[in-house]
This record gives sequence, structure tokens and C-alpha cells, in this order.
Amino acid sequence: MGLGKLSLASLISGGSLADSSHAAEARPSRNPLQPKPTHFPARAKSIIFLFMAGGPSQLELYDYKPKLAELNGQPIPDSYIAGKRFAFMDSSHRINLLGPRRKFKQHGENGTWVSDLLPFTGSIIDQLCLVKTCKTDLFNHAPAKLYMNTGSGQFGRPSMGSWVTYGIGSECDNLPGFVVLQSGPRGPRGGAVLWGSGILPTSYQGVSLRNTGDPILNLSSPAGVQSSDQRRVVDAVRELNLNRLVATGDEEIATRINSYEMAYRMQSSAPELMDTADESETTLRMYGVRDAREASFARNCLLARRLVERGVRFIQLYHTNWDHHGGPTENMEEHLPSVCKEIDQPCVALVQDLKQRGLLDNTIVLWGGEFGRTPMGEVRESTGRNHHIDAFTMWMAGGGFKPGMVYGQTDEFGFGAVENPVHVHDLHATLLHQLGLDHHRLSVRFQGLDYRLTGVEGPRVVEELV
Amino acid sequence: MKSILVVVCVICASISLADEKPIPNPLEFNRDIRPILAENCLFCHGPDAQRREGELRLDVRDDATSNGAIVPGKPAMSKLYERIISDDPDERMPPKDSKKTLSEREVEMLRRWIDQGAEYQRHWAFEKPKEVEPPRAPGAGHPIDRFIQSKLAGIGLSASASASNETLIRRASLDLIGLPPTIGQIDEFLAACQQDPTSAYLGLVDRLLDSPHYGERWGRWWLDQARYADSNGYSIDAPRQIWAFRDWVINSLNEDMPFDEFTLHQLAGDLLPQATDSQRVATGFHRNTQINQEGGIDREQFRIDSVFDRVATTGTVWLGLTVGCAQCHDHKFDPITQQEYYRLFAFLNNQDEPTLRVYPPGVNGQQWVAELNAADRELDRYVSEHAQDQAQWEASLNDESKKSLNAAVIKLLDVPVEKRNGNQRRSIFAAGPGTTDSQFRQLIKRHTELENRLNSTPTTMILAELPTPRKTTVFIKGDFTRPAAEVLPGTPAVLHPIESVIEKPNRIDLAKWLTSRQNPLTARVIVNRVWQQYFGAGIVETENDFGTQGSLPSHPELLDWLAVRFMEHGWRLKDLHRLIVTSHTYRQSSNERPEIRDQDPNNIYLARQRRLRLDAEIVRDVSLTACELLCEKLGGPPVYPPIPEGVMNVGQVKRAWEVSNGEDRYRRGLYTFAFRATPPPALNVFDAPDGYFSCTRRIRSNTPLQALTLLNDTTSVEFAGAMEKIIQADGVESAFRRCTSRRPNQEELVLLNSLDLRSAARVLLNLDETITRE
Repeated sequence: MGLGKLSLASLISGGSLADSSHAAEARPSRNPLQPKPTHFPARAKSIIFLFMAGGPSQLELYDYKPKLAELNGQPIPDSYIAGKRFAFMDSSHRINLLGPRRKFKQHGENGTWVSDLLPFTGSIIDQLCLVKTCKTDLFNHAPAKLYMNTGSGQFGRPSMGSWVTYGIGSECDNLPGFVVLQSGPRGPRGGAVLWGSGILPTSYQGVSLRNTGDPILNLSSPAGVQSSDQRRVVDAVRELNLNRLVATGDEEIATRINSYEMAYRMQSSAPELMDTADESETTLRMYGVRDAREASFARNCLLARRLVERGVRFIQLYHTNWDHHGGPTENMEEHLPSVCKEIDQPCVALVQDLKQRGLLDNTIVLWGGEFGRTPMGEVRESTGRNHHIDAFTMWMAGGGFKPGMVYGQTDEFGFGAVENPVHVHDLHATLLHQLGLDHHRLSVRFQGLDYRLTGVEGPRVVEELV
Repeated sequence: MKSILVVVCVICASISLADEKPIPNPLEFNRDIRPILAENCLFCHGPDAQRREGELRLDVRDDATSNGAIVPGKPAMSKLYERIISDDPDERMPPKDSKKTLSEREVEMLRRWIDQGAEYQRHWAFEKPKEVEPPRAPGAGHPIDRFIQSKLAGIGLSASASASNETLIRRASLDLIGLPPTIGQIDEFLAACQQDPTSAYLGLVDRLLDSPHYGERWGRWWLDQARYADSNGYSIDAPRQIWAFRDWVINSLNEDMPFDEFTLHQLAGDLLPQATDSQRVATGFHRNTQINQEGGIDREQFRIDSVFDRVATTGTVWLGLTVGCAQCHDHKFDPITQQEYYRLFAFLNNQDEPTLRVYPPGVNGQQWVAELNAADRELDRYVSEHAQDQAQWEASLNDESKKSLNAAVIKLLDVPVEKRNGNQRRSIFAAGPGTTDSQFRQLIKRHTELENRLNSTPTTMILAELPTPRKTTVFIKGDFTRPAAEVLPGTPAVLHPIESVIEKPNRIDLAKWLTSRQNPLTARVIVNRVWQQYFGAGIVETENDFGTQGSLPSHPELLDWLAVRFMEHGWRLKDLHRLIVTSHTYRQSSNERPEIRDQDPNNIYLARQRRLRLDAEIVRDVSLTACELLCEKLGGPPVYPPIPEGVMNVGQVKRAWEVSNGEDRYRRGLYTFAFRATPPPALNVFDAPDGYFSCTRRIRSNTPLQALTLLNDTTSVEFAGAMEKIIQADGVESAFRRCTSRRPNQEELVLLNSLDLRSAARVLLNLDETITRE
């Protein structure tokens, strides 16, 4: 058959990362997730993003403001809020300051303040790189989550995990390169678009691993189909597809053959990933996994480590219910403590476990939500705070981020940054930088514009952090 | 995997000759120079006045030549040239921090162009399409072939031979109606081809264009652009009813409504004199925006966001321009000012967003309402005529007998008689004398029926003009909290002027402006987007950007010829489809040939057709048809075929998904209920758009999740079961033909026969060929 110049190499090799990759012009690679060279040497190979969906209160966790306690109940000076817009502007927006609802203590060598809600985190504070002056642009949940994930409040932009796997592929060939795990009472607001691939091919979209049923949709062979039956089907499909490839010369068929092979491998590798029976009792206890079959944030942290071990590039954990406005089901007295308890130990176990296995150097663990909460209180039956975008706390560990660092200073109320603000785009640029990617060069042409995770306003890599 | 090795052949490096191509002489601004300026210079020296550096504008000749940046004929005296060749890093353009660099070839091109007089041209897409004659090409009769083949001859390539008749009937069927041919249809076509292949094919095309399924296939093409989905989006993502709009699109395409009228109804149907319900339903086009129902939002912010979406969508869908870029600032590359953006915005800022009841065909809705009102009045009259009975009954009540009444009625009894309204009187009467009054009960029954009939009538979302227009202003940086100068409705000055019979142009004028013979863009954009469906890429590859940053047309004359013909033939889409699919360019084989691979690896010049993986919905439709499960019912409410357990859990609010039974389980993919936040996985995985924004071109990905879907999804299992029965009854060869429209060769047959029936059925439904149009 006149296949001419078709070669095995061209069938299965990956494309290289062009400076300005014009998606439409790029020749398709056989395996879109094939590892690709970075722009410059990387400090980290993978990211675990622990997403606290709803907006954790930095003022009850990390940003200690005694002044708030002093002025509790008094209105915030007008100079802070003149011209500002907040969520719930119509009804429940309050201007009275609310003192910290928790006790704070200094931890670690630097005496970093951490509240009593996070005793485990306090104990490893010297290993974390804390940024107190994170800043975002949008103050409603769905748009803000979109912003934190895609760098834009508009729909249709690729999420960070998609950009990363698009840029450098994944080192795992039997699991998706971008994996999402969820815990908490409900799904995150915004849904699948938060891990969508937008204008990039769906090969790069996040795959949500589920805790019940098949971990990946349609992973199990149909009832009554044995593994050998499945193999026979996949083999026959491959043979017939190969015939067609020879007849037509269409390389896309080679990609499909690869996809079927990977799908077949995933059928065994994904259940193997989810089956934590090979983990020691000590490990399970360290994460606080009580029942290995039960979906929980603790178990998801353990799975995150297992994913990193397998070379998966981008892992995102969503834990919901951080939206503490002060209502009967979402207040600072009862619900904030309980959600903190759910995450404190597992987060720390994850960092420690990665460290003891020598994986932390190459892995960035990122903790935070879509925004923080206002210094002003929402005092209803109980207390809470409104959404706040001017200054909130996130932390990184591993992957070349400086341990023990506390970066950024907020004003006496914790309202805004007085030094070193870190915008979401700066954060994205810095994360990409650690992965060996120049945020400016990681772009895709769409509707005549070069789209980037980090937008057009010239974000900076926050070099002080790394 | 081993057998892939069989395919190993000689490796041949593909060499990019881009930079070694000779520089054309003379240089042409649009073809050669504008792309260099657009890519490297215009961000700071282009249309955006706010951003402009050094008061230098390079996209307008008068500006560029008035201050010595360009001295026509004298590159050495031109500051532009001086700066791009400067050795001083601070002087050199483009500046380092722009991360742009000019190649030596580009610098030389700029030099020669200045030397040749620095002639500018208006951007090609802003000039009206030229009326051109198809060139001569030996052996080519069809006008499209004459354009394509004369260009091919120029690069030393020739068209491919015709595809086989089996491939042709499958290709045309999938492209025109989105369904594969049945074995009967294939055999009939093959027999007709024996007689007269040409008339057999023309007959086939006519049959397909007349099929009601044509509207479904091409309706989905339009619905992508309309960002159609069945829910409100954002985080709450409640279901909505707007499927009547979807059906309107299908029906209008089936009737071959001219595209200008199709445009008018969707953008301004409500404003037409004595607007019909159908015309109002059409305005659902711009109601396909999301609605944020999250707590704590500023409603105005999200209303404005939906208007932003409408402006951007109108710009993309009709003009192929990135109008939305001028929301926050003057457009960086195209001559659209921010002011002009808000003039377009003003057309779309004055609407109310009501719903409309959609009555079944042949029903007069007003009569239904009138009948209900009459029943209402009749009840009232009856109750007041029997007020005496009621008073007696009430007087007879004591504490003991009251106990048998329901609480609501007891409460009503406390309302003084003279203060009771009709409903209250009716309720009390129903609890009292009405219980034994058969005439009254008859009236109530009738009333309830009429009321239910009306309430169960579906609704659809439409636009309606506000009596008093909202004031529209420019928003500084696109921020609705920062209004600036007021603007009136209008269109960008770079295009033809808008005409209006009334003082201020309205949406009718806007629609007519879009489809005016003077409009240089709309017809080109639409024919290009149709072309793209048939060949995998448009003549203008950037189908959503005909502006200066977009790619240049591969066949500009063909594009113009098609656009002019489209307008001259009354904007008839079916005519355009017939024209394209009857060309040899369309009918030729899609097989790769070594010489094409070498000379035109992306097949831009179309020396062959292209194999295209089917759209998500059609992947489903092919299986349904091949397995003889398809329900051919047209339109109606969206349906709920089985989806994997737990899919609906990922959204913030868990939405119900009650699996449809009976024929609704087997409807075409485009009828599957589409939640934006939790899109149907089997469609999503094959790149169906999620309706968040206008989609003018689907990505075609090829992933393991697609394989898992076709191998293991409940639906796939069900289809495989049906296919297994077909194999049992008719043999594997027949089953193979149902999937691929061709007969298997000996090798394929042997392999399939070596499998158990169930495996064979699953293999057939998983073949690349089954989900591909060849």
C-alpha cells in the first residue's frame, strides 16, 4: 500500500512545544499527553492543588489581626470600602468589623501565627511558603472559581491543569494527565468547566476520578465481559483500524489505536490506583483515613500522593463548604471548625508523606480557595464573613518554593495588601515557572489573539517565593 | 502493538521551507506586509488609541507616512526601517519585552515594500467580495473544481480520483442529514450508478436535501453557533425551556428559509409588524446566554454580561469579527473603536426577557386563554347565583361540623363575605354546597382541565423590546460600574453605513445591515463556515476571525465567488450545499497520497478529501441507525437517554435525570438534554460544545475516554446487544455494511468471523471507520 513517507516514528512521536503554538497549525501528535520538553529546566514535575471551595477565612486561619478584635463591632473606616463592590450588596453587606473568632498561636522557628483550627498545619509551618496577599478580581463563587482555575472569569478558557498538560504532557501513560478528586457535601460551584480544556482539545481536560462506582466514567468492562474478552475486542479493533490506516494513510487512525491501548491500560491501572489495600496502617492513620472505601478529603490526599508516584502531572482536590456567611448551616462557630478538622491532618500528612518518599522536591502542593473573607462580619444568628478578593492566604509546599517563608503584608484589618500583593495571574506565572514553563510563551492562538493562562496585563513570576 | 511495526517505512523529515521561499515581486500589502505588521507592530502602533506608543500608527498609510516612519520609496530614510535594523537594543523594534522578533526575511520584505512605494490596501475582508469568473482548468467543469484545480496545477498537484460509490453515499448522507445510509439505500444507489452515475448522485443529493433530517444535521451546526443548551449555566444551572427555538431552527432550515430572513427573525423577529409566534420564538437565539442564579450577585452585572455575550456572538457568528475585543478598549488590531462597540451594544441593551407559550401546531393559543377565562367567569356567575345556598350552609356550621373542613377553608370562612374574592368564594362553595352539586362539579372539572391544558403548554425564552430604551454608555474598561459617554445604536465606520427608516436604527435595521449586499463579511463568513463542515477547515482557516489577525483565505477568488453566488441566489443554504457536494473536489477520495503529503501536508489545496471524525451527536446517531434502534421523531422536548451513575453529582445542585423510556430512549443525539454544568458525558467526550459561548468550529479530539465510552458505556452495551442480534439474523457482513456502508474484505471478514457474536458486534461499533466520515 502506498503509505510512502508514513513512519512509525511519525505515528507515535509527540510534537514539541512550539514557541507560540498555533493550535490549528500544529501537526497532531499521536499521543497528546506525551511528555514534552520544557522551556527551561523545571524545578517541579507535578502540582497538587488542594482547592478549598467556597472561600476559607484567612482571618480565622492565617492572617492574625489583633486590631480587629480591638475594634470588633465598629464600622470599618470609609477609606477602605469607598467605591468597592461586594457580594450580597443588596441585603446582608455589613460594614462592622468582626474580631478573629479563633485563638492564634505562634508556630515554628519564625513564630508564624496560625489559629487553633489548624494544629497539624501549625506543626509544619516551617515547611510551607505562606502568601498572605493573594488577590483576585471576582467576588461571586462560580466566576471566582473560574478565575482561580483559568485566569479569566469568562467561560471557555482552559484550566491550569489543561494548560500544563498541553504544555508538557504527562509522565503517566496509563492514567489521565490531569485528575480531579472531590470531597465534601456537594460538587464545587461551576462544575466541570473548572477543569475544562476550553479552547484546547478535550485530551487536556481534567478527568474527575470518582469515589464510588467506576473511578473513571465507563472504566469497567460491561457486565459479563471478562478481561480476556475485552482484550480480544481491543485487539480486533486495532487490527481492523490498522488495515484502514494502511488503506487510507490517515494518521488520526494511529492516534485512535493509541487511545484504545491507553483506555485498556487505564482499565487496570485506575482501579489499582484507587485500591489502597497496599498502604500500611501507619500511612492510613497518618492521613486520617478511617475507612479506605469511604470518600473523604483524607483519602483523596492519599490518592493524590499515589497519583504523583505514577507520574500524573496535575492533580486537583476540591473540598466543598467553606462558604461561612454566618447562617445556621454556614457559620464560624460550628462549621468552619468542622471543615478545618476534615482537612488539617490530611494536608499535613500529604506534605510529610511526599517528603519522606523524596517526592516533595518535585511536587508543588498548593492550598487555597477562590477568594478569602471580609474583615467585616456578617452577624446573623451566628457569625460569618462575606466574600473578599483583595487579600487572602494561600500556601505552597515543595517544588522549589521556599519553606518557612511568609510573604506579603496586609493592613491592620487584613483588608488589603500593604506590601507584595500577589495576583492570581502572578501565582499562575510562578507555578508555571516552577514547572519549567514561560507563562508568556505558553499560549494558543484563538480568534486572532494569543491566549494565555496569565492574561495580557504582564504578570510577574514572584521570584522571592522560590 | 507489534503489528504497528509492520507499517514502518522510510522516515522522511518534513522540511519547512517557509523562510527560504522567494520574496514575491511585487509585494502585496494584504498578502505580504499586513501579517507582519499585525503580528509584530500593531499591538502598540495600531487602532487602539489608548495603547498607542509614540503617537505612531502603522495600519493607516497617512499616519505612517506623515511623521517619517515610512518614507515611500526610501527605506533608508524611513524611521521604521531604521528601528527594525538597529543594533542598539533600546532602539530596536519590536522591543525586547514584547517578545516579538522579526526574521531576516520579514525585515527584507518590509524594506522592499517601502522601496516599492509602501502601498497600502484595505484589509481584504472589509472590501466587498469581487465578482469573479471561475478560471479555466483542464478537465474541470464544475466552477468549484475550476478554482481548486487551477490552483493545484500551480503547485504541481492534481485532484484525487472519485471516492467509491459506497463511500460517496455514506459521505453525502452523513454530511447532509447526519445519518448513515441503510443497506437498502446503498443497494439502490449502487444499482442506479450502474445506469447513470451522475444522475444517481444528483438524485441522492436531492433526496437528502429533501429529508427532514437535513434540518437536524444542519440545525445542530447553527445551534453550536447559537450556544444552545437546556439549562441556565453558572453554578446553579437550573433547567430551562428553550427547545422551541431549537425546533424553529430545524424547521426553518428544512423549509430552506433564506439566510437573510433567517437572520432577521432571530435578531428582530419580535419587532416585525404583526410578529407571529414563530418569529418571536426565533428571537430565542439571543436568549441562549447564561443566567446566574447564585446568591449575592448583582443582577445588573450579569445582565450586562449577557449583553456582552450577545454583542460578541453577533460579531463572531455573522461578521466573523472579534468585536468583543473592543469591550474594554479600542480593538488592538481591527478598526473597531470602543465607542463603536457600545453602539452595537446599544441595539441589544433594550430588551425585556420574557417567555412565550408554545402551543401545539394548529392550536390558537388565544382561544385557549379565552376558553379558560370564559370558564372562569361561568364559575363566578354560578357561585354568585347560588350565594343564598352558601350563606345558609355557612350559617348551619358549628364547631363540630367545621372539624371536617380543611384548614384553608376554615381560615377563609373568617374573611367577611363582602371582602372575599372570586377564588375564595369558589373555594368555600366547593367545600360547602358544591360537594353535592353535580352541575358545579362539572364546571370545576372543566375549569381544571382548561387550566391544566394551558399550564402544561411548554414555554420558550424570547426577546421583547422595552417601551423606553435603556440608556447605553461606554463602560470604561468594560466595567459596568464606570459608565462614560452615552452612545446611540450604530455600526462600525469601517463597514458600510446602516440604513434606517426610523430615527434611531433598531434590531431590524441591524439584521438587514448584516445581510445587506453591501456587507463584505456575512456571506463570506457563512459560506466559509459551511465549507468547513465539508472539508474540515474553512477557506479562511480562522473561521471566527476575518479581521487583520485572521489567516488569509487559501482560495480568495473561490470564497468571493461562493459568497456572491450565495447572495445572488437568494441566500439559499440548500442551494449552496448542492453546489458544494456536487463538485469533484467534494467527491474525490480522502486517501492520503505521498505527493500531497510532501507538498501540502495540511491538505490546504484539497488535492484530496479529508477523513473527519463524526460530530458527537452523529457518533450516537450512526450506532442507533446501524443497530436499527433509531427513533426518527423530529423535535419536541429534550430527552434523557441513560447516562452513567453519578454524572449529575458534580454540579453544585444535583439535577434530576429520569431516564426516558420507549422511543425517547433512542432519539438522535441533538435531542439529549444538555445541562451546561454537567453536560451529557457521551457527547462531551466527543467534543460537543457545552453552550457557554458561541462555537463556530468543533475541536476533534481523539482520547482514551472516547474509547472507554464506545467500549463500556451502558448505551454502547445496549447498542452492541442490538447489533449482536443483527449479526445473528443477517450475518456479520451485513452488520459491517450497516456500520461502514461498504463490504468487508476477505481479511476483515475472517477476523470478524473468528470472534464470538458479542465481541464482533462490539468491534464493529468501535471501529474508527464507523465513527468517521471518509
